[in-house]
Amino acid sequence: MARVIEESSLLKNASFISVSNLCKSFGRRKALDGVSFELKKGEFLSLFGPNGAGKTTLIKILSTLLLPSSGTITIDGVDLRKEPLKVREKIGLISHNSFLYGDLSAYENLLFYGRMYNVSNLEEKISEVLEKVELTHRKFDLVRVFSRGMLQRLAIARALLSKPQILLLDEPHSGLDPHATEIFDTILKDLKEKGHTLIMSTHNLSRGLNLATSVVILSEGKIVFSEKKSAIDLNEFDGLYNRYVRTYQ
Amino acid sequence: MRFFKSIMVLVQKDLALELRTKEMFNSMIIFVLLTLVIFNFAFGEVIETSDEFLGGILWVSFLFAAVLGLNRVFVHEKDEACLDGLMLVPMERSFIYFGKAIATFLFLSVVEIVALPIFSILFGVNLLLNPFLLLLVLLLSNIGIAAVGTLLSAISINTKARDLMLPILFFPVIVPILVGAVNSTRLILSASEFVADIYIWLRTMAIYDIIFLLIGFLTFEFIIEE
Repeated sequence: MARVIEESSLLKNASFISVSNLCKSFGRRKALDGVSFELKKGEFLSLFGPNGAGKTTLIKILSTLLLPSSGTITIDGVDLRKEPLKVREKIGLISHNSFLYGDLSAYENLLFYGRMYNVSNLEEKISEVLEKVELTHRKFDLVRVFSRGMLQRLAIARALLSKPQILLLDEPHSGLDPHATEIFDTILKDLKEKGHTLIMSTHNLSRGLNLATSVVILSEGKIVFSEKKSAIDLNEFDGLYNRYVRTYQ
Repeated sequence: MRFFKSIMVLVQKDLALELRTKEMFNSMIIFVLLTLVIFNFAFGEVIETSDEFLGGILWVSFLFAAVLGLNRVFVHEKDEACLDGLMLVPMERSFIYFGKAIATFLFLSVVEIVALPIFSILFGVNLLLNPFLLLLVLLLSNIGIAAVGTLLSAISINTKARDLMLPILFFPVIVPILVGAVNSTRLILSASEFVADIYIWLRTMAIYDIIFLLIGFLTFEFIIEE
C-alpha cells in the first residue's frame, strides 16, 4: 500500500513537459540557446521577455510547428521529435493568429476543425465551446465580420474543441478589448482549475503573473530567470524583469 | 481510414470556400473563355484547313487558366494563417497535400467541362468522336497539373513574388503532360488512324502523375515547414 502511494506521488511530481538544452537557429542567428525547464501537470507557466527573445519560437517548437536544431523535448513521456503526431493530440495552440477561415461561419470553422481532430459528439461539443466563449448568438455569422476580440474568443473555442491537455498561448491578449480580456482570463482560470497545463507568452507582466504558477524570463534566446510564482515578491517583479532583461541585452 | 476521412474533410472545406467566394472558378472560367475566343480570332482560318493545332489551342488555354487557379490554392491558408492550424492537426502533413490536390483537380475538371462545349462551338469540333479517350486524357492531365501545381504552389506561396514564381516553376515541369495532352487530343479530335499512338502518351502521363504524386507525398511536409 505504501509503495502504491509512493509511486502515485512520484507520478504526480514527475515532469509532464521536459525541455532540455533546446537550441534553434535561423541561419547564423540563434533564436533559442540552451533552453531547459520542466513543468508538472496542471502548472501554468508564464513566459516573459522582450521582442525577439525567443518566446514565439519556443511555443512554435513545443506545438511542433517548428523543428528544433538540437535538444530534447518530452511531453507526457513522448519524445516530440520521434512522435510529433502523439504530441499534437495533447496540445492546443492559441496565438495572435486565429487559424480560422474568414469565409466560413463560426460553426463551419469549428465543424471543420472538429472533424479534422475526430472529435466525438461534435455538434454538442461545438455548442458547449461556443457557449463558453459567449458566441452562440454569432454561430452562423461569417468569421470575416468578427471583431478582433470575437475572433480570439472563437480561436479559444477552436483550441478547446479537441480537449487538449496542454494549451500553448502565444501573446493571446494582443488586440483584445477589456471585455474580451475578461472572458479570456476567466476561461484560462477555469482551464487551470480543471488541471490543464498551460504555457503562455505575454508582454503583460501583471496578467501573466496573476495566472501563473511558474515564471520564466527569456532574453536573447536564453532563460535568464526561472522561478515558482510563490517564491517571487510580486511587488518587485517589474523591477526584477527590467533588471534581468537589461543585464542580458 | 483516417487518411480518407481527413482528406475528404479538407476537400469539402475547400469546396465550401470556393462555392462561397467563387474566386478561383470565376477567374479561371473567364480566362479560359477569353483565351479560346482570342485563339479563334487569331487562328480561325488556319483551323478551317487543318485541325493539327486544336490540341495545342485547347491545352494552352487550359494550362494558362490552371496557373490562375493554382496561384490561389494556398491563399486562404497563407492570408489567414490557417496552414499553421492544419499543421497542428494530429495527422501526416502529406494529407494536406492530397486534400489540396484533389480539390484543385475538381476545380480544373469543372472549368474544363464548362469550356469544352464552347471550344467545340468556336472551332467546329466534334468532341464525341472518342469521348472515352478524351475523358481519359483530361483525367490524366488534370491529375498531373494538380499534383505538380499543388506542390509548386506550396513552394511559391512563401515567396514575395508568388504570382510570378509559380508560372516560372510550373511551366517547365509540366511540359511532359502538355506534350502528352496536346498530342493525344490532336489524334482524338482529328479522328486519326494512328489513334493507337495515344496509348503511348497516356502511359507517359500516367507515369508522370504517379511520380509527382509520390514526390508530393514525400516532400510536402518539408516544403511547408518554416
